[in-house]
Amino acid sequence: MTDAAVIDAPKKKRKPRDRWRATGWKFAAPGLSMIAIVMGFPLVYAVLLSLSSFTLLKPKLAPFVGLENFRTVMAGEYFWHSVWITIKYSAVTVTGEFVLGLLIALLLNRVVRLKAVYFAILTIPMAMSPVSVGLIWHMLLQPNLGIVNRLLELSGLGGVDWLGEPGPAFWTVVFVDIWQQVSFVILILAAGLAALPSDPYEAAEVDGAGSLQQFWYLTLPMLRPVAAIAIVIQLINETRTYDLVYVLTRGGPGIATDLMSYFAYRQAFLGLSINEGAAVSFVLLLMVLLLTIVFFRLVTRRG
Amino acid sequence: MTKHMLSALLSSASLAALLLAAPDAKADGLKLTALMEDVPETHIIEALLPEFTKETGITVEFQKLAYPDMHQKLVTQLISNQSAYNVLEVDFLWAGEFPEAGWLADLQPFVDKTNFDLKPFVPSMMDLVGKHKDTLYMIPMYNYSMGLIYRTDLLADVKLKDAWKQESGKDLAFPTTLADYVALSKFMKKNAGVEGAAMQSQRGDPNSMEFSNYLFANGGRYLDDSGKVALDSPEAVQALELYVDNLKNGAQKGALSATLDDTFRLMCDGKAFSMVTYWWMLPQIDNKDKCPNAAGKVALGVMPGGHGESGGWGWGIPKNQSAELQDAAWKFIAWVQGKEISIKRAMEGHAPTRSDVFEDPAVLAKYPYYKQALDVVASGMSFPIFTYSAQYEDVLGRQLSLAGSGEVKPDTAIKASASGLEELMKKAQ
Repeated sequence: MTDAAVIDAPKKKRKPRDRWRATGWKFAAPGLSMIAIVMGFPLVYAVLLSLSSFTLLKPKLAPFVGLENFRTVMAGEYFWHSVWITIKYSAVTVTGEFVLGLLIALLLNRVVRLKAVYFAILTIPMAMSPVSVGLIWHMLLQPNLGIVNRLLELSGLGGVDWLGEPGPAFWTVVFVDIWQQVSFVILILAAGLAALPSDPYEAAEVDGAGSLQQFWYLTLPMLRPVAAIAIVIQLINETRTYDLVYVLTRGGPGIATDLMSYFAYRQAFLGLSINEGAAVSFVLLLMVLLLTIVFFRLVTRRG
Repeated sequence: MTKHMLSALLSSASLAALLLAAPDAKADGLKLTALMEDVPETHIIEALLPEFTKETGITVEFQKLAYPDMHQKLVTQLISNQSAYNVLEVDFLWAGEFPEAGWLADLQPFVDKTNFDLKPFVPSMMDLVGKHKDTLYMIPMYNYSMGLIYRTDLLADVKLKDAWKQESGKDLAFPTTLADYVALSKFMKKNAGVEGAAMQSQRGDPNSMEFSNYLFANGGRYLDDSGKVALDSPEAVQALELYVDNLKNGAQKGALSATLDDTFRLMCDGKAFSMVTYWWMLPQIDNKDKCPNAAGKVALGVMPGGHGESGGWGWGIPKNQSAELQDAAWKFIAWVQGKEISIKRAMEGHAPTRSDVFEDPAVLAKYPYYKQALDVVASGMSFPIFTYSAQYEDVLGRQLSLAGSGEVKPDTAIKASASGLEELMKKAQ
């Protein structure tokens, strides 16, 4: 009897918690199953593809070849160049977007009138599809008939071969990407700035801190979590860039803009080797994960 | 009870009517979908589709896309259980890949069943986009062999004639060799106030197709007669040197990122002397409404050196669809490639694959340059057609682009292109 009471007592205590847990799982089940279907299944299938001998000519998973596809793509002459270009591209675009985004967000934070109008205008590029953005800029930057070179020539400067030379082509794609993506960073940072408490600033004013000091010692540290999220999201976006390269340069001139996503596409659909394309995609995924972890560690360590 | 019986009877009657109507010759209600490249040829056929529907009761819908997006979209349908596309437009670059993958139906039984006459088709077109390893997988749809479109007014200009004579010691005329053409292009850029050549040298399909003309014109080949890789030759290296020379000194700014659209706009605007391109671009440029600055001043010639790149599209039928849809697809192919409709298409600017259309008096009266077009088609040579042609185009395109941007030397690029071709051909075996 006593034993039973001892055993029963904790059971009685656990029951409501168990019920809560069960109810929680029930509520989460539809969402989790959707995630499993929409994300989990393709991810698992992609893993299987990358380890299989599946090609468009022989669309069967078996026989599995282990890491052979990874070895094949990594032994390719231009693979590592593609990895390097992707890292460089992501670093430059994310830095550009963050610096420019922060600057504009700070300016907008001071604006009192017509704030909604500014935000509406700023979100236009973000709402456009990258393919449309690429096509628009392709026409604007057309060296012979494009409006940008025409304006440069009218102002006495010579036209630039924006996409026809390796150096300028890389930076042109970077510029177009920043032009489109910066509005997302602005919106996130502006929201973060608006949510900052005013007390520390009032105290700093009383202590005689200047604007720069307030920005460096208050705004930046308090904005760090929001900024980290913006940077990580953009890092993930930029390492996956495909559309702009496809529309503007096709990876050229030479191999100047041969980013990994485009590399994977060519491997899969021109080379008909879906398995090797999946392997490249997984290397890309690992790269993104690694960069994200490193970045978060850096941010949290400082915090 | 009576109500139930009545509805059962009505349902049975409707079903019977449907079943009886199904094998009707007019095939009412059948709809065929085809993925088509968004080019003038597609629009010409599209305008005639109501005639086919009137004749057969079959509706045909064209989904139009830019060329680079087509391969991926087609392949994903062809490996599925049932293709959403019932009629296939197959580029010659895929004419090895699709049959090897087992995606196309053998068309010979359809030809036999309907007594479709294959004799009028130009033999080079049948080789390119008809038979693969002796099996008929495609019916040639239209050709896009390449030649040289050039400005006749500039060749006739007296001042330019004198200047050219002084510079080269030759009379200003249509060039006969590739070296002459590149020299003329550079001369025009320097002296005529126009670009010497509107070049489509973006990496991939554009520069691979363009360079193939330079290669064939200079006596180079991708494969020898026995099918072995023969690209690494002095002729090929010289062809690439001339290609790079023209890119740097004869072509427009931005040529390395230019596509067919860019070159067309430049030529159409009267701002270029020449372009190596598909012969059917001539009627587009020679059109007063579209291109007032160039119309009446352009002509077509076979690539200097005697050979250009041969190209074409064929019609195919996917294996992964029902017999009924395959029959309907064949009805459409036989109709659209029959003599009557081919002539109607030619009168609107179609690039024929049938010799009887090229030689038709009405067609020749409207388009006298179809005579030159036939020469271009007849003298054309082909890019290597095998399972990985599309990938090879990418491999070659990368090397050409590297050479064009000065990152590798022409001989290195040719060597890499030749070994890339060897590797892919080995992979295909």
